[in-house]
Formats: sequence, structure tokens, C-alpha cells
Amino acid sequence: MVKREEIVHAANLIKIDLKDHEKYIEQVEKILNYFDILDNASAESESFVTQEMSLDKLRDDKYVPFDEKLITQLKNYKGTFVKAPKMI
Amino acid sequence: MNLGITATQYLEQIKNGSLTVEEFISKTMERINKVEPSIHAYISLNNDAISQAKQIDKKLKAKENVGSCLGMPISIKDNICTKGMKTTCASKMLENFVAPYDATVISNLKSQDAIIIGKTNLDEFAMGISTEFSYFGPSRNPWNTDYVPGGSSGGSAVSVSALECIASLGSDTGGSVRNPASFCSVVGLKPTYGLVSRYGLISYANSIEQVGPMARTVEDTAFILNIISGIDQHDNTTIDKGKVDYTKELDVGVEGKRIGIISEMIGEGVDKQVAAATSKAISKLQTLGAECNEVSLDSVKFSVATYYTIAATEAGSNLARYDNIRYGFDFDVEGYEFNAYISKARKNFGPEVTRRMILGSFVPSAGYVGKYFLKALKVRSKIKSEIEQAFKKFDLLIAPTSPVLPFKIGEKVDDPLSLYLLDINTIVANLSGIPAISIPYEMTNGLPIGIQFFANSMQEKTLLQAAYALEKTTNLPGVPI
Repeated sequence: MVKREEIVHAANLIKIDLKDHEKYIEQVEKILNYFDILDNASAESESFVTQEMSLDKLRDDKYVPFDEKLITQLKNYKGTFVKAPKMI
Repeated sequence: MNLGITATQYLEQIKNGSLTVEEFISKTMERINKVEPSIHAYISLNNDAISQAKQIDKKLKAKENVGSCLGMPISIKDNICTKGMKTTCASKMLENFVAPYDATVISNLKSQDAIIIGKTNLDEFAMGISTEFSYFGPSRNPWNTDYVPGGSSGGSAVSVSALECIASLGSDTGGSVRNPASFCSVVGLKPTYGLVSRYGLISYANSIEQVGPMARTVEDTAFILNIISGIDQHDNTTIDKGKVDYTKELDVGVEGKRIGIISEMIGEGVDKQVAAATSKAISKLQTLGAECNEVSLDSVKFSVATYYTIAATEAGSNLARYDNIRYGFDFDVEGYEFNAYISKARKNFGPEVTRRMILGSFVPSAGYVGKYFLKALKVRSKIKSEIEQAFKKFDLLIAPTSPVLPFKIGEKVDDPLSLYLLDINTIVANLSGIPAISIPYEMTNGLPIGIQFFANSMQEKTLLQAAYALEKTTNLPGVPI
């Protein structure tokens, strides 16, 4: 059984603030309980691939300049840098 | 003027001069302005559509080369990037995002002189099955506006059904093209994974989603598929389709075709009227010479949990980019610590996206990754092998597109799990990568029922041929709106 604190922790990790959102915790809890159906699937012997494409099929890693105007779409763009919130 | 003509009829009329592109686009715009207040298919419209139509008319008059769409109006789900137009994903987060480039599918359509008539409504970031989770409000089913149009490509289905365009592009991650196609009585195709480029489709769950065409007939669907499919250097997962024309040999019929009826999709939990319509469709196919027998896909019962585990994990990763710095700016960074700033920005996500972000953080997290995410990947492999086995015995598989009829707006919005469970008949195609199509089959109490065929990977031609054969046995009414 998943604990509520664990759901809140997972939300914090992905920067979702659950203050005033109790109902999300309950809904996610209910969904995770349903996902437990996977325990009954006998698939232990199955294998899966995480890398579908062989690396030699990738395009060359070369610099292709993109439309310079694109960066000016950033609302926090200040000429030569992007303003971001304080890290420390 | 009849706005309900098919793509084929449109092309004939433009070619023989009985119709101009400008006339058709103007009438389509009039129609949109008239019906939009009651159905809300579109998020934004192309204000240059009429001048683009005039340009194409001019080229036609001067006998210059014009692409195969001849100015046909096509609507686009608003999670597909269209240069210079807003591409919002129906999210407050991207409310003012103007795409700086065209998705490959859009470049393909434009190169064939299609006119992008507008961008259609969807569940926020394509997460939903009813189009009720749009920041801009729900779309409504043109067959009965108290009902949902399905989702997540609900706006696309509504726009095709309500004669606001000739065809549309949606995206299908777990049934998002086929479900609204079924609910709105139009045709919707989810192509083989890799047949259509995803470059410019705003990412939600990369390993399972595909752009797919929606139209009023199977032939029109094949016509659009011809244009959007094929290898793309911008999407490494695309497959070379070879020299195939999906519009050719559509009428070969189903005689001798072996069709498997998926037992797990016609039994428990399926609405009686949907089950009856499916049985009728199967009888019709048998009359046409198909050999229909039941086939069991045992792992279907695990498919909803498998799908949502994988989709949420990929969504959690993909949507991490919405941090109010690169996208979705609406307040200054001054005075905020990094985490607090991003958390505040993410309050701009609606309820379904928020739920899936939390799930997407939880199911692959340390301590639970084995129980949920890795297990889901294994079950996905099992589903794939069951499907492969089934296609050794059958040419096609059949099931109702949705286990239920369209439901009322607001009826299920607060019970996300009950909505998830409705995906059961569509998601196996996404998990296994195979193509599937929904075609309108019946009307019950004024609400549409769609029938779904699945084919083996890259067998779109077989799929379209079967759909065409079944379509020919139907005689459905015109949209009441």
C-alpha cells in the first residue's frame, strides 16, 4: 500500500505543489491501487528494449544554427543571457 | 454549396471549375462562425485562409503547378506546431505560444497546397478522453451538444463531423484519434508507430504517440495518410514506407480475410448497444466473405495499468520543460527561489496534467520502479508478443472502438480512473505500435457508434481496405447541426 507521504514526496520531486490539493492525493492513490493489477501479470520472463535504435543510425552531431529570432521569444531574455530564479 | 462533400469530390469540383477555392474557404469560414458558439471545435483560426485561397485560385487559373490538396481546408489539433500560429496544447502554460516552425506533417500538407483552416481543441496536452480538460473549455458533440465529443482530439473530430473542414490531423497516444472519431461519427486512423513523423508534435509520450488523419470517409483518410506518411530526417523513429498509395485498391473487399474478434473487448463492461452494433458489423463482414472467429488477448486486462504507467512516466519527463523560463512566462523571477518559482509556474497546469505529472514522478521513482514502470515495460512486451501471435492466425482484428456510447459533459470529469478504463479497446494498438482505424457504423438514440479494425505493423493498406468494405454497408444520417 502506497503511503500518502510518498505521493506528496513524488509531487515535490516534480515540483507540483499539493497545498490545497488534497483531492489529487486521493485520486492518485486510487489510481496507484488500480495499477497494482500489474502484480498479477506473469511477465517476469519478458525482456524489453530501452534503446530501440542503433547508435550508428543517429545523424551527425554537427552544429546547425537555428533561427536567431527564436531566443528573443523568451520573455526573460536580456540581450545576452536568460534571467532565471536564484539557485542557492 | 454543399460543405459536406468528400475530399475526392472537392478535388473534382475544383479541377472542373465548378467550384473555386475562395468560394469553398469563404463558405467554410461562414459555417465555422455560425456553429462554433454551440460546439467549440477550434481554439484559433487562420486569418489568412481567404487570401491563401485566392493565391491558389490564381495559380490554378494561370495553369501553374498546384499541390494535390488544391486548397482543401484542413484543421489541425493544437498540439502540432504550425509556424506563425498559436500552438497552445489547450493549456494555460502555452496560451500565447506561437510556434516558430512547422511540424513535418504541416510542411507536407502545405507543400501540397492544403489550407490550414484553424487549430482545434483538445484535452490539455492531449491527456484525456472527453476534451473536457481543455483550458479553453470543452468541445461539444455535434450529434448532441450535451454530450462529450470524445478525446483527446475532440476538436478535430467535431470540426470534421460538423463540416467545418474536409479533414483534420489529430494525435493518438492511447486512442485520441479513434475515440473522438467514434463519438462524432467520423473516420480516424492511428498509423503504425514510425509511419508518420512526430517532429513538431508537442511531446507527451514519445514511445507510443502518432499523428493520425481524421476525415468523413475512408478514402479521404487514405488520401491524407498518403501526404503525411514517410521517412523524415527530423524524426529518427520514422520508417521508409516504400512506394505505396493508400488510395489505390481500396475496393478489393474482405473476401477470404481472416478477422479475429478480440474476446476481451466485446464482453464485460461493454454497453449492450455497442455490443449489438459490433455483432451486426461482424455478421456483415461474414456476408461479404470474411472468416470471423474469436481470439483471446489475455494481457488486455493489464493494458490500462501498463499504458498509464508508461504514458505518465514519459509525460513527467516531457512536461518538465514547462518551467516558466523557456515556456509559459507569466510572472517575473525576482524574489523567488528556484524550486518555489517552478512550483508556482506549474500551478498553470490543469487537473489531469497535474495528476499525470504526480503519477509520472511516482511510478518510475526509486523503490517503486520495479513494481510499476519496469513491470509495465515487461507487460508491454507480453502484449506485443500476444498481438504477433494473433496476426499469425488473422489478417485483421476487430472490436468496438469504445466500450461505451458518448457520455454527458461533466458526467465523469471528477473520476479520472473511470475515464482511464474507457481506453481499454484502443490502447493495445499504441502499446504494440500496430495501426488501427475507427469507422462510423451506427447511430443509437442519436449517438454514434464506431467499429475498430487493427492490422499488423505497416499493413495500413489492408486496414483501409477492410474499413472501406464495412463503410460501404452503412447508410448514416447527416449531422444535425
